Amino acid sequence: MEACGQVDPNAIAQARCESLVLEYQTKLARYLRRMVGEAEAALDLTQEVFLSAYRMLSADPSRELNAGWLYRAATNAGISFLRRKKILRILPLDREIDASTWRVDERSAASLDLQAALGRLPSEQSSALLLTSYAGYSSAEAAAILGTTADAVRQRVCRAMRVLRSVMKENVE
Amino acid sequence: MMTGRSDCAKLETLAGAIALGEASDSERDAYRKHVARCPRCLSDFGGEREIERIMNSVALSRDQERWEPDLRANILRPRTPSVGWLWAGAVTATVLAIVAATTTPPSPPLATTPAISAREVRALAGLGTQGVVPREGRAESLSVGEATYSTAFDISVDQRGIPLHCTITRSSGLRALDQSACQAAMRGRYPRRPQQR
Repeated sequence: MEACGQVDPNAIAQARCESLVLEYQTKLARYLRRMVGEAEAALDLTQEVFLSAYRMLSADPSRELNAGWLYRAATNAGISFLRRKKILRILPLDREIDASTWRVDERSAASLDLQAALGRLPSEQSSALLLTSYAGYSSAEAAAILGTTADAVRQRVCRAMRVLRSVMKENVE
Repeated sequence: MMTGRSDCAKLETLAGAIALGEASDSERDAYRKHVARCPRCLSDFGGEREIERIMNSVALSRDQERWEPDLRANILRPRTPSVGWLWAGAVTATVLAIVAATTTPPSPPLATTPAISAREVRALAGLGTQGVVPREGRAESLSVGEATYSTAFDISVDQRGIPLHCTITRSSGLRALDQSACQAAMRGRYPRRPQQR
């Protein structure tokens, strides 16, 4: 169909992007904060996700962009960030928890245990755990986002849970 | 009694299904029966109740989160890219070029370190997001001149030495100073409580 009327495609892209930001900025930023363990980086990565959303919508204002697309882009951004960080600093797997990432009222023992476990997990396991028990997707939905099978997601969640379990045990002793 | 290795291999998927609350009655049954006769799996994965308890702690952590970031404030924040990021950006640009040449849309980007054009900054910064929510946890510069201020606070620490709460018991009169004193105290390291008995 030919473009009809004089509506500026950038204005449409901006309006659609705005509604996505309103609905998902907090969810994606919290998801990424858990995944990378840093608030500042999480915010920058969230921005990257919305920037690519905006670019896609500028190119094609009628394009369908749903939550699954946003979470997939966020997951890829998080994985790529962790990979860069690992290359640059040769970090040990067991990362220190950066206290400034967490507000005072968010620093419960459960929350810190979860973060310690996430820091030890390979990103395919941490993203499986976060997409399901954290973002609320079923294993089938998370599988679609991650490009794998529901059984693989369940298996990754199980492995993630075992690490969390051992972190919790260490800290109780 | 021994159980086959293949049974044990399937148990991860079953335990994952239980963890996600997706297991059917027959799957739960199969799990229970297996761990009842396989001590190694029981110690590896835990019983159903324990799996549920661990997953509840994840939900609890999520529900405790209060962070409400504002993207618009972030995009306007001045930043200086480090050498590492520039380097990573160059690599990403190459990867993106390859991806662009070989893949079919729509696939999300391979996480970029994008250069943002002035138009895009204006567009994103102009979004009507939450507006005035202040950024949490960001260091604020505080100049108090020559005067001396003091803040008294109580800090409670759990058995591991992790600070739990900070309460101002005597304010300096400057809210920002009180806050930063507490923030500094919460970042501190404290000794573990010695084991009793």
